[in-house]
Amino acid sequence: MSANVTPNAPTGYGEVFDRGYQHYTGPRLGRRQAFRSLVGYSIKRAMGIRKPWTSKILPILLYTAAIIPLIVMIGIAALVPQVEFASYSGYFAAIFTIEGIFVATIAPEMLCPDRREKTLPLYFARAISRSDYILAKLLATILLTMTMSLIPAVILWLGRQLVADSPWKAMRSNVDDLGRVILAGALIALLLGALGLFISSLTDRKGVAVTVIIIGFLLLTGATHAAFEVLDQDWRRYLIFFSIQDVIGAVLDHLFHDVDSHIIRVADFSLMVYIAYILILSALAMLFVRWRYRPQD
Amino acid sequence: MTVADGTSGPANQPVIEVRGVRKSFGKFVALENLDLSIPRASVGLLGANGAGKTTLIRTLLGLTKPDRGTARVVGYDTQTQGIQVRERVGYMPEADALPSSTTAADFVAHMAEMSGLPARAARQRAADVLYQVGLDEERYRLIKGFSTGMRQRVKLAQAIVHDPQLVFLDEPTAGMDPNGREEMLELVERIYRSLGIAVVFSSHILEDIERVCDYVVILDGGRLVTSQPLGGLGVIGGEVIVEIDGDQDAFAGLIRQQGVTVQPASTELGARELVIQVDDERVYDLIRDVAVHQQVALRSLRSRSRSLEDIYLGDVGAMREEANVR
Repeated sequence: MSANVTPNAPTGYGEVFDRGYQHYTGPRLGRRQAFRSLVGYSIKRAMGIRKPWTSKILPILLYTAAIIPLIVMIGIAALVPQVEFASYSGYFAAIFTIEGIFVATIAPEMLCPDRREKTLPLYFARAISRSDYILAKLLATILLTMTMSLIPAVILWLGRQLVADSPWKAMRSNVDDLGRVILAGALIALLLGALGLFISSLTDRKGVAVTVIIIGFLLLTGATHAAFEVLDQDWRRYLIFFSIQDVIGAVLDHLFHDVDSHIIRVADFSLMVYIAYILILSALAMLFVRWRYRPQD
Repeated sequence: MTVADGTSGPANQPVIEVRGVRKSFGKFVALENLDLSIPRASVGLLGANGAGKTTLIRTLLGLTKPDRGTARVVGYDTQTQGIQVRERVGYMPEADALPSSTTAADFVAHMAEMSGLPARAARQRAADVLYQVGLDEERYRLIKGFSTGMRQRVKLAQAIVHDPQLVFLDEPTAGMDPNGREEMLELVERIYRSLGIAVVFSSHILEDIERVCDYVVILDGGRLVTSQPLGGLGVIGGEVIVEIDGDQDAFAGLIRQQGVTVQPASTELGARELVIQVDDERVYDLIRDVAVHQQVALRSLRSRSRSLEDIYLGDVGAMREEANVR
């Protein structure tokens, strides 16, 4: 933007700024920049950043609910060495409900407003494809969910090592635990995120999506447990695949060997089966979302 | 006002080339064998509701795949290079397509990034463009508090924030009051004349197109009615009114012998005149030569411009009649 001082203007009287239109001559970063921008913008919107303060309340409350108990736990363990730390699977199980509510909050925010406010034509008239749009929304949802499923668990791992007699040595000897924590956190984020987006793609209304996600998770888990108790045939072990909470519980049991659940014991599938199930279910959910966003030709 | 020389490329190169495009939705044919070559200009895309304007725009943006035919926009194939096309063009949809709980500055900057601009440049461009459309003061307000006119300006700003070579404006004056419409038309006019961005302005309002465009494409029922410059309509494709001293019937007969349409007409004062169709510049020479041959005096000779309304009603009417005869 160039600034022209009016000719012969007495100094101190001010300046006249030329705000005429300037053509853009800088770099154009194309599709990659568009994708990155959509991921970042979606995360900010879901967290209520640059939105009215009321939009920030729920995310703050949920983060507080997930992290404060952790900090208290680490503090107590640091002060009173006799106190046992919570197990990783115990922690994951304890915050699963909070994660569910968190995903029920952010996933509709990712998709519903763009559909309801008809901003999709503006996005699809930009340097991205429809698949880019869906992938960016999935990535944004997973990254955000990982801040809830992974970061606190990593803090828990760090806390456990830091209260040890020799923290550095403890870190090196427990690095396998860190790998397991990261795997568990990433799988939880992927599955919950993909299912959250799947449900959110069915409606334009955020409130409906939030309700369906929460009730859907609760109902499926409850119905699976009830059916499991009633039935006694061999094939009832497959019912575990209807309960997201138990599938995640089974993954945690394989990774940390300390989950006490009748349904998981009866199901008795290998870790690879559960991981394959999570990956396939997530992929199917995203294929459905892509189909929902097909051109209306 | 001058056309700015920016990133726009050679002025004589067509910005849009369409060859044999057909698009149907089930049994409804939205575009039928469309052939078009549109120059870098302020182009009016005129047609009644359902004429195929929005389908054509969506096809040109690479968002709708034609059943057959090809289209190139700013040199890129819309089907195979859709993303490259969309990096270089802007689009202002007809629908109210803005998020409510974000500020104009944030949203327009985000749209600039979505076109590939780096974050810092995007924010700077958003501020500049919002100033250009008259929303300098309001850019940090939430969009949900904006009037219809302000929302239209935000839509326009997001369409040009990445400095496109071409911008599609789909019914930009829809739903606006007379003052807002006037201001929007001034802005649209500026986009081409001052900012140097080629414009395709879709509308069903003839007056708006006549006001801001220098080229017109008329669609009817998915077919091309005409594609021509607006400035030339008064000379070629118009009529000339001739008044002579002498035998008017003989004069008209000689003109008709050359295959030119001549019709008698009367003025309000009762003077007899002839209305001669001008399809070719040589018609003027013919009038002169016949007058010399008949030894009659030409009392007056004035052109009668065909307004856009004449063109629209005449050509669309003729096309519909032709279709009915078939």
